[in-house]
Amino acid sequence: MPTGSDVILVIVVVTALAFDFTNGFHDTANAIATSVSTRAMSPRFAVGLSAVLNFAGAFISLKVAATIGSGIVDAGAITTTVVFAGLVGAITWNIATWWAGLPSSSSHALIGGLIGAALVADGPDVIDVDGIVEKVLVPAAVAPVLAFAVAALAILIIYRMVGALRPGSVTRGYRLGQIVTGSMFSLAHGTNDAQKTMGIITLALIAHGNLPSDSFDVPFWVIASSAAAIALGTYTGGWRIIRTMGSRIIKMDPAQGFSAQASGAAVVLTASHLGFPLSTTHVITGGVMGAGAAKRLSAVRWGLAGNIAVAWVLTLPAAAVIGGLVYAISALFGSGALGPVIEAAALVAVIAVIFARRLSQQRVVAAQG
Amino acid sequence: MIAAIDVGKLFELVWAAALASIAVAVSFSLVMIGAARAEDCRRNRRAGSATLYAALSIVAGVVFIGIAVFAISVITSK
Repeated sequence: MPTGSDVILVIVVVTALAFDFTNGFHDTANAIATSVSTRAMSPRFAVGLSAVLNFAGAFISLKVAATIGSGIVDAGAITTTVVFAGLVGAITWNIATWWAGLPSSSSHALIGGLIGAALVADGPDVIDVDGIVEKVLVPAAVAPVLAFAVAALAILIIYRMVGALRPGSVTRGYRLGQIVTGSMFSLAHGTNDAQKTMGIITLALIAHGNLPSDSFDVPFWVIASSAAAIALGTYTGGWRIIRTMGSRIIKMDPAQGFSAQASGAAVVLTASHLGFPLSTTHVITGGVMGAGAAKRLSAVRWGLAGNIAVAWVLTLPAAAVIGGLVYAISALFGSGALGPVIEAAALVAVIAVIFARRLSQQRVVAAQG
Repeated sequence: MIAAIDVGKLFELVWAAALASIAVAVSFSLVMIGAARAEDCRRNRRAGSATLYAALSIVAGVVFIGIAVFAISVITSK
């Protein structure tokens, strides 16, 4: 007979995989949007390749998995209910920004959700403000600015070097190059982001007593299910954000797409090498804007860029508020499984309604077209 | 809060990322320049120049692939 804590554990695992799905779904745009908009790849081929590389990337390393929440929230404050509430905060914010077609960091949403839930559960003493500054706020400020500058420099060099060549061969060449840079981005994303879900599930298994607390060994079923969830989410493709990243911020040519992706990959991987955590979303968005602005400042839709920046600023506090609220409501039902069960059911219902409305809108558009 | 920011690491990130990005942009652009010029030279029957441009394209391609392999090694060692 399963106990209440067993039920909460199952709910946490399912919710973590749901977050992983939204992570793939939401962040597909990071890797493929520029390749799709410059016709370097067809949309289906791009999401298929990205899904395969995200799946493969999830198996490559487990070092990030062990660092989830460390240095931000006191490890003693992490219970299965706190993790559940944090995940709901992150999923809700991911869906809200997807609905608005705005790229935002899934990692920051997850950190925000955990901070909010832990704050409500145990008070401000369990939050490491220095850790938030070092691991969230400074990287969030640096990533887009650096990617912007680097991509702008790269595209100016590219235009200078290939300006005298025939446009046809330049277009074909950079489209080919984008397949390489887009693949790098997808692999890096799978390695980095799927591990966050693995880390969350492993933390929950340790908190529940299924795994020893003195080591951090991720079970194979956790690796495989996390890899599958992010790959499935990626394959499903968040087309709203892909449209924003690929064609609404700037109308880009293949050289600009290559420059944005290559510079983005260079920034993300250099940061990785130095142990500096950057959001792939912030990096590629900055790269796209830089590649556009270097050609012509007015080529960038700055109003949309402003909306994206506002979404970035709101990500951490909004996910924290939702995570805290979910924990508080759960606590109203006591420490058992009833609160998480009711909230999980409500979340599933809300997501079903949103996707049903989205599907019916697509049918109307298809019928009119 | 200031103590939480590692300025040295931040500075290293800025120059290393810029250098990596320029290396990718330049090497791939040289692949294309070499290939396009080699084709032009072949068409104009300048075999010597065509060979030199083709060699440039191949060397730049090797550098570009080397950077990609290094990037994969960074990803896998993370």
